[in-house]
Amino acid sequence: MVDFTNIDFDQLFGFGDDSNPLMMLIWILPIVLFIFYGQRIQLQVTSGEIKKAIKKLDAFRTESRSELIDYIKKNMRPKEDPTKRIDRFLDYFTIMPVDMDPNGIVDKIRHTVRAREDYSRNHVKSISPETDEVELSKVITLLEIATSLHMIYKVINHMYLTAKKQNNYPLILPLQMILPFIMEEAEAITKAIPAFKKGQPVGDGIGPMVVGKMMLDTKKETVAFQTVASETEFDGRKLTLMKAEGPGSTVGRPGDAVESLISKNKPDIIIMVDAALKMEGEESAITAQGFGAAIGGIGTERFQIEEIATKNNIPIFAIVIKQSIKEAITLMTKEIANQADNVRNQIHEMIQENTKPEQHVLLIGVGNTMGVPQ
Amino acid sequence: MIFSKEKLIVEYTVEKCKSCNLERKRKFKEGDYLFCDASKCESCDGVMRIEKIFGETIEQ
Repeated sequence: MVDFTNIDFDQLFGFGDDSNPLMMLIWILPIVLFIFYGQRIQLQVTSGEIKKAIKKLDAFRTESRSELIDYIKKNMRPKEDPTKRIDRFLDYFTIMPVDMDPNGIVDKIRHTVRAREDYSRNHVKSISPETDEVELSKVITLLEIATSLHMIYKVINHMYLTAKKQNNYPLILPLQMILPFIMEEAEAITKAIPAFKKGQPVGDGIGPMVVGKMMLDTKKETVAFQTVASETEFDGRKLTLMKAEGPGSTVGRPGDAVESLISKNKPDIIIMVDAALKMEGEESAITAQGFGAAIGGIGTERFQIEEIATKNNIPIFAIVIKQSIKEAITLMTKEIANQADNVRNQIHEMIQENTKPEQHVLLIGVGNTMGVPQ
Repeated sequence: MIFSKEKLIVEYTVEKCKSCNLERKRKFKEGDYLFCDASKCESCDGVMRIEKIFGETIEQ
């Protein structure tokens, strides 16, 4: 039996004897090894973690692709197998306009993005021309999900393989830093699939849900592509209500719609209701009020609304419902759904506080209107 | 994580009677849309409208 109570640590680690060459080697060798090969060892350890994440990303993109193809086969009943066409769509890319001269760049971005949207819509429709608009919007959203996951996988895999190929540890550092955020987003995108397949409202749909209920029993008219508006009254004020046309999966074109509505009848104030990303530590489903155009996306719609409002000197008020990225794109949570009545009360208070009777208010419900009619 | 509980999302639909405001919570059925007319009210025989559709997370 080994007696562990009687170990001489000085002897074991060579503390007491500086002249022992074997002990000196034991201490010096790892130092030399880490000086020359430290980065490579770190690269190996880090790349193991990244490899696992890439495997997960690969599973996400494969799952989204097969879910999309199954959905198309089941709900669009195409005459031919859509797999080849879908695979071609997944590799489509968008080249953003040159920003060396930023003058007029918003129009260029809008043009590029809309051209892509129109192309996707027409080509998805061509798979089965009889498909109705709601079903078509679901397929387009599922296609966007699959394309995003495909692109995320490709970019991350490219960064990883480049670092590995060059045996370059610093190259892998930025990837290691952004990976947790990318994984969170990719997981959220993957979890969004069931809600869109079933036509359920997502967290981002709280704005359209609030305004959509106010639009019930009013006469709706199309004011821009996939965007509807109607008129009603509240406490002596004229209300113009606007949202994306539900229950399909779309955000509409609020910029064009605001331009069209203001050209006909200038409102005294604009109120925008939208979902907003909560900060870490903030509770989900809390509401906040503020000023300015509450609308996300790449910025073209916000630019358009801000420009029209500025030209016409119309103040913009905002009410936002805070939520995480995952909550925004997956089935609406109970907490967010329960805020709808509270937000409606806040809108009424805001109207009473900032307008006088006979004045005109434009109320916009911003967000994806999946599962939310009007 | 080894010890983290699996999270399950249960989908619900809340219907509200247009006449007597009675609320009824049931499991979500495919084809449910917000604000569409649903079943008949058990209390006043009025029409119930879908008021909310949401998910509740249950830890298993």
